[in-house]
Amino acid sequence: MNEFSRRGFLGLAGAAGVAGLAACAGTGTAPSSGGNGGGASSNTIEFWSNHPGNSKPVEQQIIKAFEAANPNLKVKLVDAGKNYEEVAQKFNASLAGGQLPDVVVVSDVTWFNFALNKQLAPLDDLLSAAKIDTSDYVDALYNDYNLDDKHFALPFSRSTPLFYYNKDLWKAAGLEDRGPKDWDEFLTWAPKLKAAAGSDKVVMELPDGSNYLDWVFQNMVWGYGGAYSKEWTPTFSDPNTVKAGKYLQDLAKNGFLKLSKDPAPDFTAGIVGCSMMSTGSLGGVAKDAKFDVGTAFLPGDGNCPTGGAGVGIPANITDERKKNALKFIEFLTNAQNTVTFTQATGYMPVRKSAVDLPEEKAFLEKNPNAKTAIEQLPKTRSQDNVRVLLPGGGARIGKALDQVVQGQDVATVFKALDAESQQVFDSQIKSKLGA
Amino acid sequence: MQSSVTDSRRDTPVSAGPPEQVGPAPRRSSGKAWEWTLAALLLLPNLVLLVVFTYRPLLDNIRLSFTDWNISSPVANPVGLANYVEWFGRDDTRVVVRNTLVFTVATVGISMALGLGLALLLDQKLKGRNLVRSVVFAPFVISGAAVGIAFQFVFDPQFGLVRDLLARVGASSPDFYQQPGWALFMVTVTYIWKNLGYTFVIYLAALQGRRADLDEAAEIDGASAWTRFRRVLMPQLRPTTFFLSITVLLSSVQVFDIINVMTRGGPQGNGTATLVYQVYQETFVNQRAGYGATVATIMFVILLAVTVVQVRFMDRGQKS
Repeated sequence: MNEFSRRGFLGLAGAAGVAGLAACAGTGTAPSSGGNGGGASSNTIEFWSNHPGNSKPVEQQIIKAFEAANPNLKVKLVDAGKNYEEVAQKFNASLAGGQLPDVVVVSDVTWFNFALNKQLAPLDDLLSAAKIDTSDYVDALYNDYNLDDKHFALPFSRSTPLFYYNKDLWKAAGLEDRGPKDWDEFLTWAPKLKAAAGSDKVVMELPDGSNYLDWVFQNMVWGYGGAYSKEWTPTFSDPNTVKAGKYLQDLAKNGFLKLSKDPAPDFTAGIVGCSMMSTGSLGGVAKDAKFDVGTAFLPGDGNCPTGGAGVGIPANITDERKKNALKFIEFLTNAQNTVTFTQATGYMPVRKSAVDLPEEKAFLEKNPNAKTAIEQLPKTRSQDNVRVLLPGGGARIGKALDQVVQGQDVATVFKALDAESQQVFDSQIKSKLGA
Repeated sequence: MQSSVTDSRRDTPVSAGPPEQVGPAPRRSSGKAWEWTLAALLLLPNLVLLVVFTYRPLLDNIRLSFTDWNISSPVANPVGLANYVEWFGRDDTRVVVRNTLVFTVATVGISMALGLGLALLLDQKLKGRNLVRSVVFAPFVISGAAVGIAFQFVFDPQFGLVRDLLARVGASSPDFYQQPGWALFMVTVTYIWKNLGYTFVIYLAALQGRRADLDEAAEIDGASAWTRFRRVLMPQLRPTTFFLSITVLLSSVQVFDIINVMTRGGPQGNGTATLVYQVYQETFVNQRAGYGATVATIMFVILLAVTVVQVRFMDRGQKS
């Protein structure tokens, strides 16, 4: 036998390691015709969730009630990831040949690519066949999942941003106990807040571009009459959008704004005066803050973006499984259960009639900050396409906003953003629309 | 590992000891056939695993790199070299390659140097050295995600440990999460802290297997500590250094968990994005699995080239 040297062994080990690395790093999975649709039996509903807002116990509670009401059906709750993106990754893996779930959580960002590639079932016919009245769903939330006049998900864990403020700081600055009417008013408040806060505190903190600044910044853009896009046409270079970008930049330049990975802990610790954060943060902030927490509508009237997730059904499972899956979704999101879910997590009720239920009325009476979120709901509006529907839209805009806050020229950054967004639309979306 | 290899160091000055053996007596052909059969039987299970889980996905990945596959789509259309042309032409490629290079060189170089230093120190007969050895090695067995979460607090510019330490000397903390240079520094330090135990323990094992008589002989001959380190110890550690340079390089290039937890590739979009992170970003965030496969293939070629150069370098070192 030939001698096998240390060098040879290490060389081979290295080569295998390199190959393994590339194989692991890459996708390495061939596209298939969309999963085998197999797996669960027709009377077992597999529900893939990331348990948004630590909702696993309440999901289990709802499932138990569903099984009691439908003794011939079982629901298997599957931990499909720690966030919406991980659920989407797992669902993508199942599309390439694995076992498909019956019900899957899809976020405001992830649902569209699945629908566009015909991997989510359009629900309209199923809803009609099951005689489910969709008019009770909050319109803005229901219509978020609309593509070519078909709906591909129903709202489940839906949230909006709220304006959170430290009432103690507001008082020290001599301000009224309310949020700003618009961002111009906030600018007149900012110096007073800064003087009251002192040098070791921050007037306003927002999440950075890697952590959804692009979501809350839509409020400023809309407030100044701009938009990320009109339908599919990017409008970052619109003078009003640029004006909003300059406003954000000036806030940072004048020391009124800081970005962070997550403003919630800093706000809760009392070192931040105000922020725009999800309604989903409300429970934790209200529980842990050692000061009086105030919540208000986002500045401007009707300039609040929707967010969060819905639940959809894979296209490539049997009709019988789809029927059962829809039955479960309807139960999961009915008025009673949306109230149960909302109160446990801080998300929004997705049914109009939910706010009229006695337990919800009592809850809102006890939790006025939660009431702010409910009252803001009719003023919400669906997000602009290039953020929420264009692949990588949020990350792309977030990157640009980070650059703006760091002082780069707003018009130049936004012009490049227009070009990039248009290129992505042309190459990845255009040919598939209406197909 | 040392016992599994033969004598590629035989002709180096430091290991020149007993005269070369003549080797085993010639065997009959049936004996050779049996050796080959045995080798095949022993290798087959691992070969099967390698083919199924490494080489097949690798080839599949290369094939996909020539397509426009959207990860949710059942269809992947061939696009020729378009993905490769795009990667070489894009502005962010330069940033990602630079980040990967800086991160890899820093983590490989610093963790090997520190690992060797600590191994030399804790190879001495010191009181409590076993405890210190355990402490140094412990972070290596903690998951990268957990380390990333813990170090977020260490580097937090509002209330982190680093801020507190800097405040004691009157300095302010950099904003590690908003400035790309500092963000890369932060993930590099975190990665080195987590993985230092690996280089340390491998070097320590090598030091404990070295020939002390050579060092003593050199000392008697009047060689200085530095000369003994350079001329006597390091040549004995050469195979270990080579092994570590490959394994640490590969694990550094693979880093994903710490970056994803601490910065999600930001700030400013790709401030800490490395090639592996770009594969993730393109495949799962931008849904361009074909393009992600292209980046993975390019990374494979680069790493293969680096490994070949390392092997050649080692080979030349042996011969000289």
